[in-house]
Amino acid sequence: MRPGAQFCGACGYAVAGELDTPDRPAAAGPNSNFELHWGKIKQIGLLFGLLLASSLFLGIIGRFNDSPWSEAIVSAIDALIVIAFASLHYRQILPLLGLPKMGGRLALRLLAVAIGFAIAMTIYFALLQRLGVPMLRVSDNYRKAGWGLWAMLVLVSLTPAVVEELAFRGVIQSTLESIFDRRDAWIIQAALFSVLHLSPIIFPSHFIMGLCFGYLRLRSKSLYPGIILHGSWNALVLFQELYWP
Amino acid sequence: MNHRWDVDDTTIIELKIGGFAKSILTVNGNAVPSSLTIRRKSEFPFVIPDGRHAAISIRPQFAGVPRVELRVEGNLMVPTEKTPVKCPSCDAVVKPNDRFCSVCGKAMPPAENYIFQKSAKEATTAIWTLAVLFAISGVIMFFVTKSQDAAALARLNSLNPNDPFPNSINGVAYTVAALRDKILWEPWGVLIVNLILAVVMMGLAIWGKRAPLAAALVATATYIVVIVTNAVIAPASIGQGLYLKIIVIIFLVRGIKGALALRSAHA
Repeated sequence: MRPGAQFCGACGYAVAGELDTPDRPAAAGPNSNFELHWGKIKQIGLLFGLLLASSLFLGIIGRFNDSPWSEAIVSAIDALIVIAFASLHYRQILPLLGLPKMGGRLALRLLAVAIGFAIAMTIYFALLQRLGVPMLRVSDNYRKAGWGLWAMLVLVSLTPAVVEELAFRGVIQSTLESIFDRRDAWIIQAALFSVLHLSPIIFPSHFIMGLCFGYLRLRSKSLYPGIILHGSWNALVLFQELYWP
Repeated sequence: MNHRWDVDDTTIIELKIGGFAKSILTVNGNAVPSSLTIRRKSEFPFVIPDGRHAAISIRPQFAGVPRVELRVEGNLMVPTEKTPVKCPSCDAVVKPNDRFCSVCGKAMPPAENYIFQKSAKEATTAIWTLAVLFAISGVIMFFVTKSQDAAALARLNSLNPNDPFPNSINGVAYTVAALRDKILWEPWGVLIVNLILAVVMMGLAIWGKRAPLAAALVATATYIVVIVTNAVIAPASIGQGLYLKIIVIIFLVRGIKGALALRSAHA
């Protein structure tokens, strides 16, 4: 025993009395929880890596070929990847495919989030435009190739909204919730969503987008409000390019 | 490179690794001849004065210093470092290998936890390093790009702004004015992008104190995306600082594993 110590450092014996000392906690390390969680992180990494690879593939072929067919094919590949992962996680995804059950108060709150989101994004992109930041125009390749509005709406607005919501708010957020608490899972999926858009200049805006869509999914327990808001924003960007350049 | 373990009040083990990877092992100040080397994976078993069996193992790492571990009767020992070990319950300073806190009597976490905490801290350090590197490279690249663009701008200034530029760039046709705007934006774009990345990494490093696993995960994803995106924009960039890139990713992945092991143990 060291002078002044109340307890023995080796056996936990109490000098002063008969205090019970708890057992030494189990060592951290490759236990079953670790293996389970590590496996889940690897799955998220694989999904993220595949989506990243398809974005890069599009980036590379976009240098030589501006046909909208390349975007259509990559969108289809992304959809197949996400559907495959969603099927593997069907137990977590199925409840999110139900219609949102919400009262008037929650509906008003979600509407407020949607309006706040639209205002924040409009201000951010207006600021970028004012600073002279060159922005990618999503409709140019379609117009050059003579594709119609419906094709643009499907490929620019609807498909990314469904695929990205299913991937990030469906598979990734649900899987993260089994490792982290809900708040950390919400923040991580938003960060991954923003990073996957490959342009650091839009990281802040897309991080806020990810937070908004994640919030809608958390509160409504459904993917549909996020899909509607995501698709509407994409459509708004498209219409702005086409009709209010 | 010195390693010291205060096994208990009466036993102190030290391992000094000097030049030419020569190692000197001492137990309570008495030298013990050993075959330990940092050049390859090695293990040296010995007996400490109280009769318990101990073993020191050295495992060289691809990135960072070799991993040196001491086990006594199969139990991993916490190395003695400058930062004192504190009881997680009462915050009192305790001896590194006490099984129980001498002030509050609560059981101390096992030695493995310190190793994982160290990995998580190393990941946070790697994130801070990235933040600093992005900030510095942003400023340097700003001035480099600006000086490179000066000649092109001088040439464009002699042309009529409304005329189309004779050559297309990456398949895109520009007017002189549009091309001038694009070139003027280039250094600012490089600076802003790098500063955004520096701020993102700083935010993640700060978040890493509270949530090391989450911060390391996001930082790894961000860094990989940055490397890959740069490789698409400028394929030659993939080879630049390749060793540094690999080391940073190794530290981040190690940090993810360490923080995950800690989290899984407490789940």
